[in-house]
Amino acid sequence: MSFLNPIMLFGIAAVSVPIIIHLLNRRKFQKVVWAAMRFLRISVEQNQRRMRIEDMILLALRCLLLILLALALARPAFMSKAADVFGQSKVTGVVILDNSASMAVSDGTQTRFEKARRAAEQAIESMPAGSATAVLLASDVVNGVIPEPTFDLNLARRVVREAPLTDRATDLFPALNRAITVLQERLALRKEIYLITDGQAAGWRQLVEAQRALERVKSEIKTHIVLVSEREERNLAITELRLASGLSPVDQPLRFEVQVSNFGREDVRDVRVGLSVDADPPSDEFTIETVPAGSTRSVSLFARLRSAGFHHVSARIPEDRQPADDRRAIAVRAIKEVRVLVVDGEPGSEPRESETYFLRNALVPVPADQAENYFVKTVAGNVAELASARFDDFDAVILANVPDFSNAVAQRLQQYLRRGGGLMIFPGARVNTAFYNEQLFARAQLLPASLAPARGEADQDQKYFTLQDKDYQHPMVALWNDPAAGTLGSARFYRAFPLNLPATGATNAPAPDAGLPEVVLKYSDGSVAVAQRNWGLGRVVLFSSTADTAWNDLPVRLPFVPLLHRALGSIVQRQDEGLNVRVGSRFARRLSTELLEKEATFLKPRRTEGLRETRRVELVNGSPVLQYDQTDHAGVYEVKIADPAYELKFAAQSHPSESSMDELTLGQVNSLKTVANVVTWTPGFTLKGLVERDRSGFEFWLPIVIGALMVAGAETFLGQWFSREK
Amino acid sequence: MSRPATDTLLDPEVISKAEALGLHARYVVEGYMAGEHKSPYRGFAIEFAQHREYSHGDDTRHLDWKVVGRTDRYYIKQYEQETNYVANVLLDGSESMKYGSGKLTKLHYGKVIAACLSYLILNQRDAVALGMFDTNMRDYAPRSDNKSTIHNLMARLAAFEPKAQTNIGAVLHDMARQTRRKGIVIVISDFFDDEQAVLDGIQHLRFGGNEVIVFHVMDPYELEFPFMGLVEFEGLEQVPKILTRPGEIRKSYLREVEAFRTRLRDGCERNNCHYVLVNTSHSLDEVLSAYLAFRLRTAG
Repeated sequence: MSFLNPIMLFGIAAVSVPIIIHLLNRRKFQKVVWAAMRFLRISVEQNQRRMRIEDMILLALRCLLLILLALALARPAFMSKAADVFGQSKVTGVVILDNSASMAVSDGTQTRFEKARRAAEQAIESMPAGSATAVLLASDVVNGVIPEPTFDLNLARRVVREAPLTDRATDLFPALNRAITVLQERLALRKEIYLITDGQAAGWRQLVEAQRALERVKSEIKTHIVLVSEREERNLAITELRLASGLSPVDQPLRFEVQVSNFGREDVRDVRVGLSVDADPPSDEFTIETVPAGSTRSVSLFARLRSAGFHHVSARIPEDRQPADDRRAIAVRAIKEVRVLVVDGEPGSEPRESETYFLRNALVPVPADQAENYFVKTVAGNVAELASARFDDFDAVILANVPDFSNAVAQRLQQYLRRGGGLMIFPGARVNTAFYNEQLFARAQLLPASLAPARGEADQDQKYFTLQDKDYQHPMVALWNDPAAGTLGSARFYRAFPLNLPATGATNAPAPDAGLPEVVLKYSDGSVAVAQRNWGLGRVVLFSSTADTAWNDLPVRLPFVPLLHRALGSIVQRQDEGLNVRVGSRFARRLSTELLEKEATFLKPRRTEGLRETRRVELVNGSPVLQYDQTDHAGVYEVKIADPAYELKFAAQSHPSESSMDELTLGQVNSLKTVANVVTWTPGFTLKGLVERDRSGFEFWLPIVIGALMVAGAETFLGQWFSREK
Repeated sequence: MSRPATDTLLDPEVISKAEALGLHARYVVEGYMAGEHKSPYRGFAIEFAQHREYSHGDDTRHLDWKVVGRTDRYYIKQYEQETNYVANVLLDGSESMKYGSGKLTKLHYGKVIAACLSYLILNQRDAVALGMFDTNMRDYAPRSDNKSTIHNLMARLAAFEPKAQTNIGAVLHDMARQTRRKGIVIVISDFFDDEQAVLDGIQHLRFGGNEVIVFHVMDPYELEFPFMGLVEFEGLEQVPKILTRPGEIRKSYLREVEAFRTRLRDGCERNNCHYVLVNTSHSLDEVLSAYLAFRLRTAG
């Protein structure tokens, strides 16, 4: 026998109370002077023994009553099967329902999620009357739809029936941990956890921790893991869609890279990939000949955005049993033009000698007669004109071999960046490194790196160093991971300033607007070639060598134009990076001041068509920001503000891991069986019988309370009986 | 002078004052005799002994009217029994008589009985002797038939205070030995003593030709035992205290008391002795009625 509330056993000490009262009462009496003592003595002697016995009986009954009450409050329980004669004990349980994206896989008639809901309902139905259960939805977050066990099992069943499926990834350990915590805080004889999931391996990334947690509580909590999936052999998925072009101008062909992954065990042939803009028919298609099992193929597809503003671009492949990953959409903002101020630090006597000659041509890489219509508009300026330049008229400012400038210009540049402007810097022989390092790097923390003394010789072409030719990590240069895009490693650098990023935990207190420096591109020897840093709402990109061919031949290499455009796109469309978020992440976008406090309506993606929510544009860190965090579904979210009229789109993408068909291995399942009851759901499977077989034990408090009542009744009756006249 | 209420007489303060005691006893007796109670002598033929000339103050009820009619002279009848008996009033003055559930103790009540009976006896031209005793006779007023003796008797009664336990049997035996003339012995006591010794003493008295009447004085609490709760009883006569719950032994106690009374009463009856239970919460009328009935019986 065990006690669910053993601390109440201390109540047995209360048995001393009637004993003390009995002893104290003997000291409280009335005194009477009496003459007829002999008759009294005879009567007392005749009755004394009987009266003592009666006193002892009543005292014993009172003590027994207190002992029984203390025992009942301690909630004794028998765990043996023999106690089943008293019926099944109540259960306090937690039902965990996996509602991640992988649960959408269908077997042709039912999805895994539909099976899981049915299993969850069976688990609730199997609980005896008087039981209580919580319901948690598990994906990569734990959603406590019924966070604490409720006795209203009808409510629990309804919540399960109405549980939504999400496009989120899976991580089951936090949900298990939460269930264990909830049950440990409860006093109950029978504690049970029901985890209903598809057994996808990705959801058990913390398998060891989960096993340890279940092992620790095995003696008090019974865990049932119900695996509802049937092994799926095939799944093709679009695992990535991104804008490959550096910028997204209106009516220009934009390159999109689509990655198709085969998570199945067999090769798939003739995979047709289509690309659409908004609700238009596919603008481009490509058929991948073969996508081998377990591998990924990338295709480049093109589309044009016909108007300025927000669009969504979707890639599709034919649907299979997991249709959710057969399409993917991203939001793109089409820009009408990009205005760039190019400041020449060394104009030269000939145009070709200008520091910005190659820059301007690369920025507008079209014939002169088309330049007027090209979306990039450049304006050339010199150092002297910096003082009067209106930076806010430009989307980006490029400084090419600018020696230095006044503090006033530096202050205006900072304000420009703070408001979302972009700054690109190419050093050269004329730069005042002390100015750049002390003013722009150390004091303003504007630059992502300091300029170390230049290395190499510009006057020769024998000794040179190159950029890295593989493993491009940063999004700005990730394009060159595709061999078809060529390589950046072909360019030769004869002289460059080594870029020293600040060490982690640098002594200078960070400026409030300064973001963390990032390495964009390295030289083949591992030193930093290009770095960037967010500053305010803007961004700064720092190159280590000249924009012309004085120190390197990059400007005359093929990658120069796309690299420059991608760098420009990085600083001009920085805020557009937030248009595409991972499912479950928060969307946030800074809007113009006129939209502050306006109410925005959010229309959720296709699956929950018609479902709308509203949010208000609020002031965050001094800027009007619109935020939204209910991104449980993949797809395009449309946002509208009525007055003034404003619309935008953003997209949530599911995690590629949810497309994986990898399931728990047999060894992993067996190891889980040591800490839990693991069953596989099959058609016609009944959970109820299985769990009832495992239940045994009975709480014993009610018979004890009945016994206590009988003792109380006996004490009352005997008390009256004994005190009658004799 | 108006007659005071009987309960006024039963006031311990009155009882403690001789003059007041005497006065009140007289009132009680005269009130009893003249009031609601028929004289046991009315209609009763007491043997006529002789005449004597009427003197001022004699009871006019005893005038011989025949003689008045014949002679025009006033003569009082004297009766045979007028000086027949000596009544010995014996009052138990032991510690146990000090008990009373209210202000009035058994001793107070016993004194009043003794006072009233003394007055009644003298009024009936019997002689009265008064004795107060505990383990032996403490105070004894020898027989007298003079009415003026009443003051002396009242004084002795009022002044007497109990000091010791009781030995009724020994006192009765002494009385039996010392009494030369047959008479009446009136014993006023609670009889919390050896019953057999008491009955032996009564028997001794009876052998001596005495008539014996016992007034068994008991407090209503001793008769009813109404106590509740937890009570410590402390005896008056050097006995150990008893702590008990009276409610649970009441019946048993009452059985003992009843058995005691029964034994005493039966013993009295066997000895042809008159037994009267006196409840100190009741009026004195019953006492006086009992004595007069007894006196009537013994006179016949």
